[in-house]
Amino acid sequence: MQFNWGKRKPHCHIRGPFCHREAETRDRAIDELLEFIWNLRENGVSDVADLQREASDPEARNILSYMEQEGLFAREGDKVYLKEKGEEKAREIIRRHRLTERLLMEIFELSEEEAEKEACKLEHILSPEVTDSVCTFLGHPPVCPHGKPIPPGKCCTAPEKSVRPLVMPLNDLDPGAEGRIVFISTNFPARLDKLSALGVAPGSIIKMRQKKPSPIIQVGETTVAVDPEIVHDIYVKAV
Amino acid sequence: MRKRGKNRGMESKDFNRKSTKKIILVGNPNVGKSVVFNYLTGKYVVVSNYPGTTVEVSHGTTKWRGKNITVLDTPGVNSLLPTSEDEIVTRNILLNEKDALIVQVADAKNLRRSLLISSQLSEMGLPFLLVLNMEDEARERGIKINYQELYSLTGAKVISTVATQKKNLEKITEELVDLREATLNISYHPALEEAISQIAEFLPEENISPRSIAIMLLSGDKSLKRWLHARLPESRINEIEAIRRSCQAGFDQPISYLINQVRLEKVDEIVRRVTMIKPIKRKRLSTRIGELSVHPFWGVVILIGAVYLLYQVIGVFGAGVAVDFMEETVFGEYINPFFIRWTGRLVPVAWLRDLLVGQYGLLTMAMTYAFALILPIITFFFIAFGLMEDSGYLPRLAVMSNKIFRLIGLNGKAILPMILGLGCATMATLTTRILESKRDRIIVTLLLALGVPCSAQMAVIFGMLSGFSPMMVVLWAGVVGLVLAVVGYLAARYLPGEASDFVLELPPIRLPRIGNILIKTLSRIEWYLKEAVPLFALSTFILFIMDKTGILINIEKGASPLIKGVLGLPVETTQAFLIGFLRRDYGAAGLLALARAHALSAEQILVALVTMTLFVPCLANFLVIVKERGWKIGAAISGFILAVAFTVGGLLNLILKITGFKI
Repeated sequence: MQFNWGKRKPHCHIRGPFCHREAETRDRAIDELLEFIWNLRENGVSDVADLQREASDPEARNILSYMEQEGLFAREGDKVYLKEKGEEKAREIIRRHRLTERLLMEIFELSEEEAEKEACKLEHILSPEVTDSVCTFLGHPPVCPHGKPIPPGKCCTAPEKSVRPLVMPLNDLDPGAEGRIVFISTNFPARLDKLSALGVAPGSIIKMRQKKPSPIIQVGETTVAVDPEIVHDIYVKAV
Repeated sequence: MRKRGKNRGMESKDFNRKSTKKIILVGNPNVGKSVVFNYLTGKYVVVSNYPGTTVEVSHGTTKWRGKNITVLDTPGVNSLLPTSEDEIVTRNILLNEKDALIVQVADAKNLRRSLLISSQLSEMGLPFLLVLNMEDEARERGIKINYQELYSLTGAKVISTVATQKKNLEKITEELVDLREATLNISYHPALEEAISQIAEFLPEENISPRSIAIMLLSGDKSLKRWLHARLPESRINEIEAIRRSCQAGFDQPISYLINQVRLEKVDEIVRRVTMIKPIKRKRLSTRIGELSVHPFWGVVILIGAVYLLYQVIGVFGAGVAVDFMEETVFGEYINPFFIRWTGRLVPVAWLRDLLVGQYGLLTMAMTYAFALILPIITFFFIAFGLMEDSGYLPRLAVMSNKIFRLIGLNGKAILPMILGLGCATMATLTTRILESKRDRIIVTLLLALGVPCSAQMAVIFGMLSGFSPMMVVLWAGVVGLVLAVVGYLAARYLPGEASDFVLELPPIRLPRIGNILIKTLSRIEWYLKEAVPLFALSTFILFIMDKTGILINIEKGASPLIKGVLGLPVETTQAFLIGFLRRDYGAAGLLALARAHALSAEQILVALVTMTLFVPCLANFLVIVKERGWKIGAAISGFILAVAFTVGGLLNLILKITGFKI
């Protein structure tokens, strides 16, 4: 993965619609504006003045009026509200953005800044299928890393069975349950070597024996007591 | 890869040079290597440090094809790509011991991990005999292994044993002829293979294959640095490092981890093909006990029970009954009078007589201390420790205490030397070797020296405290405990170095074999006598010199302002503190004598006891610290402890005075 290490506001709450220089196409600009309106609303603001201040340059104003024509949002006095079509579209963008943030920060351990930057790009290009897969992979998280709600998708309301996350930290496995190790995420190579020498490596079936007073895991006939951080780093698929 | 003669064992020149021919036992921890070793060597066992390290390696001799040959018991390893000092030592033995007969002892029920090591031995090009031990435990768990299939897949000769019942052990020496190189060779990702062969080209012929060394180097094994520098020019070493770096850049996971994963895959495939598992539903009693011993509630109950039992065996029986008998009866009535009588007759020079049998005499004081005071205690300690070790309880103790030790930045493994410290801090300091990082070892060494009272001292302390209200005990233990926690916390925070990971294998709970415990205890006692007795002699000699030259008296005089002014204690206690440096409990005994004579108030006794407990460890402990950690750290620890002991004692005195607190 290539990163562009530019400086920008690391926030998913309120962002200017044109925070990305790369968001040049009209579709992207529309996405950004919808996202912006959604974010404003979450913060209890729906003032048209805010929107106009942000959208000060002529091109943005063009897009805004285009969006109004398209029936994505409407104004009522000095208030702005999303129409059904816009609401739907915004909801998807927000969902993609926040899910991506979680994925990047929790699983790939990117910094908040990097995660935000990448999420800004990915929110425009993820297909609905991939979005649902990410959502399922993460176990249908209700909120983004900043605590903002993630709008639920189709996958989240599917029957109870499929709502169970596919991959989760070993720590989330109940005592006595087993899982197959998918990957081990750690910044300490020595820890990886030690664990894999004990047979704790991707592909192995691992059993969570107990969590307290110290986590104890079992692979085959090998029982190992480890630090709590280590069971957080081992990601398993329940079997 | 180098070709090896198929009949190496048959070549007659190997028989003539019996010193070069060796049997080397390797394997995972807790697979029964030591039992096999004890079987092969009997009682002629020597335990010594591996040169340049603090890791112990046992060696002994056995009869093989009519000749005496050496058997080496290497430290248990999980990988021959070393991640710990133990693993470095084992790897180095394989690297340096030419022409050895290698026996891999393996846990039959844990074939996967065993074969991981087999694959590394095979990679090294070393022929070995695979001994699948604990075949009974595997059977109990419904695991059946197809040995014929295992042989054809790995190329390694395989035998199955139950070492604790001596079943099939005689086969080991029988099968050691005609060893073949195993064929368990694994190929890795093409980019890795490319780098491996590039590096291997640079490497000299060695006892183990250049390919295996290249893999270690590629995995970033830093422990080969010295070896590498002794054999290759700097430029080559840099080239190797460059290859490694550019190879690593192509992968987002550490190379060592990638290699391990491929090995595991290969091993898993073999395991699948050679084992049949019939799941057995019934939980064995030992499994149940094992679970209870790490249970959040029952684990604590068992822990308290175990500590109480330890206290009874070591503290009450060992340090009480056995020491009384040895000191008062054996040495007091027979041995010492005998020495004094005969020295009086045979040695005409007065100072020489004093040196041998005087107040600070080598025979009377040093030998009495070593054999009458310490030997009984550590004998019981070693027996109890061996029982805990062989039953598999020790690592579970570490599990129970991990949380507490994490609070001060250490991990559960630290409890093992701390518990030992309640027996004897000198020995416990030696066992800090089980801790992985240097930082952890220094912290535990410091805490041991600072405030973990040894059993002998504890006996005297409790003797003193018993005459007072329980408040006294609470205050003494509270102050000492608080100081330990604060110092431990600060040391863990400010000492450089990472806290080491807590990754500790829990062996199954087993019923210990008495014979094995006895052999272990005997070899440890032998080791103790070699390590500690010279120290006792030396410290007694130093005291003798100080006494004769008058230095002792001067120190007493010089220290009295500190004792009187800061601690608020009578001048007479100076001597107790000074002797306390020689042996902690003797210092405490000195205080006890003063207390009995009503020379001290209750508050003074509390101040004196706290200071004495925290005070510099005994000379033997000090010398062991210096030996293990070096002069600088030894001096720093002692200086620090001295300061802490007097500061805390002084503060306590001040607080008691200001508040007018009466116990």
